[in-house]
Amino acid sequence: MRPLEAISFQEHGNVATITLNRPAHGNRINIRMIQELAAVCDHLEDRSKAKVVVFRGSGGIFSQGVDFGEFQPHQPIDIHGFNKWEKIAVRLERLPKVTVALIDGAATGGGFHLMLVADQRIATSRSFFQLPEVHMGFLPGMATFRLAKYVGLGTAKRLMLCNTRLSAPQALGLGLLDMVSDDLDAALQSTIESFGPIHTTAVQLCRRLLNESFAIEFEEAIGNFLAAQHRAVNKSAFLDTLARQHEK
Amino acid sequence: MSTVHPRIVSVGTANPPRYYKQADLPDLFMIKDKRLRSLFTSGHIDGRHLYLPDPDAHGIPTESQGQLLHKHLRGSMEIGPQAIRQALEHAELHVTDVDYLVVTTTTGFLAPGLSAHLMNEMGFRSNCGRADVVGMGCNAGLNGLNPATHWAMANPGKNALLVCIEVCSAAYVFDNTIETGIVNSLFGDGAAAAVIRAEPADAGKLAPVVLDFESHVILPALQAMRFDWDDSAGKFSFFLARDIPYVIGEHAETPVDRLLSRHQIKRRHIAHWLVHSGGKKVIDALKYNLGLTTWDVRHTVSVLHDFGNLSSASFLFSYQRLLNEARIRRGDYGVMITMGPGTTIETALLHW
Repeated sequence: MRPLEAISFQEHGNVATITLNRPAHGNRINIRMIQELAAVCDHLEDRSKAKVVVFRGSGGIFSQGVDFGEFQPHQPIDIHGFNKWEKIAVRLERLPKVTVALIDGAATGGGFHLMLVADQRIATSRSFFQLPEVHMGFLPGMATFRLAKYVGLGTAKRLMLCNTRLSAPQALGLGLLDMVSDDLDAALQSTIESFGPIHTTAVQLCRRLLNESFAIEFEEAIGNFLAAQHRAVNKSAFLDTLARQHEK
Repeated sequence: MSTVHPRIVSVGTANPPRYYKQADLPDLFMIKDKRLRSLFTSGHIDGRHLYLPDPDAHGIPTESQGQLLHKHLRGSMEIGPQAIRQALEHAELHVTDVDYLVVTTTTGFLAPGLSAHLMNEMGFRSNCGRADVVGMGCNAGLNGLNPATHWAMANPGKNALLVCIEVCSAAYVFDNTIETGIVNSLFGDGAAAAVIRAEPADAGKLAPVVLDFESHVILPALQAMRFDWDDSAGKFSFFLARDIPYVIGEHAETPVDRLLSRHQIKRRHIAHWLVHSGGKKVIDALKYNLGLTTWDVRHTVSVLHDFGNLSSASFLFSYQRLLNEARIRRGDYGVMITMGPGTTIETALLHW
């Protein structure tokens, strides 16, 4: 891995933390950041023993979305650039860990989208949330696919089409956030405790089935569930649970 | 020169002329039982190419074991040569250019084997080397690709031809049980052929190098899939244990990860997955055990939908669909996975 610039990365015990680290640029997502996130994903998938991955921003901002500095006004815009961001977003969504977004300050555009790929979201009371893309003439990425699952179709339309600015309590009320706390580190600790023993296989399979819900037919989903359940019950985590039940 | 690599130069496929919509088959087979009928309407298969006799007043007549074996040979000599001609044409080869012939089939036993019948039918050179891979089931395509690849590697510039021919309609038994109902509603007829040749470069044709193979046999599941004699029916009958698709899924990581780790690559580096279209359950099981997406198995699912399970030929139908998409880029890796009796999981690693 070359030295990290756009993000920083730390691991302490079971917890790995990815911090978006371009505070002078609103922690905006640029190509360098995407490349560094990919390198960190390689590490998390292949080597890391961490069970929890935290996404956060530096300098009192989570992220203000895509960095337009890399778009040239008079050159054709490469749609594959957008795809690079979507690929890293889905990779973060599927990490073999549980993921928590810790938000302080603005989570707008791609920053709003990034928190949707995490398993849990915790924000400080001063944080705010906004999807300005449609008012700027483009689209809020695959948040178009993810957001309605959290808040319902009507609210998703309002947030995207009206550029509604949500406060942290409002976002909590809509189900976008799991907790509002001005002590993010304490809130993270209690969230990590609530995850229990973290059986990675069960977490990944459960998350995948949930992410696939809404989008497919029941007849398709039941086949997926049975395949996933067969995998889960043949792993040592469940076999140990069974053994303990029998001892009682 | 160590830069000569065995490559899949071309592929061809063929099916019998008659196509049966899955929804029409219960009536044609005069199946009354609701549960048996429902096997045909699950929706994962739209229809299948089959060699079936014309129906009379009692539906499609039952065929004797002798008639089924005869049908296997007759059908094989129709679809086998068609698939071969297509593969040879794409490789710009004549049948006399073939130096080594590997033929797989499980749906009929005969001696001399299909390879000799194909030589006789199509005019292969009399000194063409041959091997018949018989009775290995749905995984056999990779069991055939393995020797074809190694033969090609040992004989650079010479042409090996892999042919997978399955007349699954010659393995049907009608006894109103769920076991045979599953077979009769799942398997279709088809043939596929591929030319394998070791050459230094593919001259811009995007012919992948076959880098490696890895096998895994789940020995405790020896009886879970079998094609054996049913004395009461007086026929060979195929049996599939209910949970074997999930057992295959559970074990799939083992050969795949062994295969990839030898080449220091991870599953995320695999651009193209070519999985045998075994059935809905086993495809689901591989998806959730290997972490494959619906997109990764799109050809596997669409080949199942359009043809049913073509046994050893299925994976080459998926391979052909992948080529036709024109999405492959130089440097891409692909993994082929076939599953069948043993219980067996065979894998191969491709590099474009």
